[in-house]
Amino acid sequence: MASDDDRTAGHLQELRRGTVVLACLTRLRTPDYGYALLEALEGLDIQVDANTLYPLLRRLEKQGLLTSEWNTAESRPRKFYRTSPAGDDLAATLSADWDRLTASLHRLAEGELP
Amino acid sequence: MTTLTDRYVWAAVRTVPDTHRADIEPEIREMIGGAVDARLAAGEDPAAAERSALLQLGDPERLAADYVDRPLTLIGPRYYLDWLRLLRTLLAVVVPISTAAVFLVQFLSQGEVGAAIGGAVTTALNVTVHIGFWSTLVFVILERTGVPGTGLGWSPDTLPALPDRSRHARLPELVASLVFLAVFAGAILWQQVRSVVNADDGSAIPLLDPALWSFWLPWFLGLIVLEAGFAVWLYLRDWSWPAAVVNLALALAFAVPAVLLWSGGRLLNPAFVDAVGWGPAVATGGGWTVGSIVTAVVVLITAWDVVDGFLKARRASAPGARQPVLVGR
Repeated sequence: MASDDDRTAGHLQELRRGTVVLACLTRLRTPDYGYALLEALEGLDIQVDANTLYPLLRRLEKQGLLTSEWNTAESRPRKFYRTSPAGDDLAATLSADWDRLTASLHRLAEGELP
Repeated sequence: MTTLTDRYVWAAVRTVPDTHRADIEPEIREMIGGAVDARLAAGEDPAAAERSALLQLGDPERLAADYVDRPLTLIGPRYYLDWLRLLRTLLAVVVPISTAAVFLVQFLSQGEVGAAIGGAVTTALNVTVHIGFWSTLVFVILERTGVPGTGLGWSPDTLPALPDRSRHARLPELVASLVFLAVFAGAILWQQVRSVVNADDGSAIPLLDPALWSFWLPWFLGLIVLEAGFAVWLYLRDWSWPAAVVNLALALAFAVPAVLLWSGGRLLNPAFVDAVGWGPAVATGGGWTVGSIVTAVVVLITAWDVVDGFLKARRASAPGARQPVLVGR
C-alpha cells in the first residue's frame, strides 16, 4: 500500500532529521568536501540528498560549528569542511542525548513503567 | 562543465542577492561536479550523467532558497493565523458596509434598483479582492523581512468569552433597548410641544410635519411600544428564528415608511425648514446631499439590525450552544 509506505517514510524522515547534523559533525573531525562526505555517509547507510547536505554544511558553517577552506590544488576547486571546537562540543552533547534516548526507548520497550 | 550546468548554476544564483552569489556559485558547481563524477564512475556516459545529476539536485531555485534560508511559502506558520484573523475581520466589516453604502448611494441618486445592485456587486467583488490582496501583501513582506511580532498575536486575554446564555447576561441589552426606545418616543412627543425652534410669537415649531399626526406619527409610536414589548420578549426567551423574523418585520415597518417619507420630503415640517433656513435639497433628498446621506444611514442601521438578529438567532439555535460541553453546565 502506497499510503502506508508514505506514512512510514514520513515518520522515518522525522526521526532521522537531526541525525544528519550529528553525523556530519562527527565525520568532519577529519576534513572532507561535500561529495566525499555524502558518499561516506551513504556507505554507512545514512541517506542524505546532495541538495540537502550542501546547504546544511553551509548553515553549520555560519553557526560556527564547521570551518571551511577551499582546496584549489586539483582540477576542480573543492570546499573542505572541518568540525570546529564548538562543533565538537555540540556533537558530544547531541551524541549523549542520542544515547540517553536510546536507553529510554529500550527501557520503554522492555515494559518498564515509570 | 557544459552549458547545461552553466544554465543550472545561473538559474540558481540569479535568485540570490549579489553578495551571496560569489560564494554560492562555486559550491553549487562543486556539488554538480561531485554528482557527475559519481555517475561517470558508475559507467554512465557524460551527457546522461550530467542530466541525471541535475535532475537529482532538483529545482535550482529551491536549492538557492535553501542556501540563503529563504522561505518557500507565501505566508508561513509564523504569520498564517495573524493573517487569517485580520483578513476575516476586515472582510466581515468592510465588505458589507461598503457594498450597502454603494447600493444606497446609487439607488438614491439614480433611482434604478438594477443598476444599484450591479454597482453593489461590483463593489463587493472589488473590495474583497483589494482587501485580500493588500493584507496578504503586507504579510508576505513581513514573512520576508522577519519582523519578530505583529502585535496581533495570541494571548490569554484574547480568548473568547464562553457563551453566557443566562437571562442575567441579557439584562444590559434589555435596559439599553428600553432606554433608547423611551428617549426616541419622548423625542417625537417633545418636538411637537417644545421643539428647538420657536416662532416669533413664542410658539414651538415642530420638527416633524404636524400633518403626520393623522397617521404616521402614531404608527411610529405604536411601533416603539411593540419594539419595547419585543425587547422584553427577547430578555425572557432569548433570540430564536421566529424572533429574528419579528425583528425583521418591525425593522421594515419602521424603516420603509421613514425612508419614503424622508425622501419624499414629507417628514419635516416646512415651517421648521423655513425657520432654520435649510435649502430645499436638505428636505427632499436626491444626489449626494444631506438627504441621501441620512437615508443611507437609516437603511444601514436597519440592515445591520436585521442581520444581527439573524446572526444571534443562529448562534442561539446552534446545536449544543445552550449547554457547552466543555464546562458541563
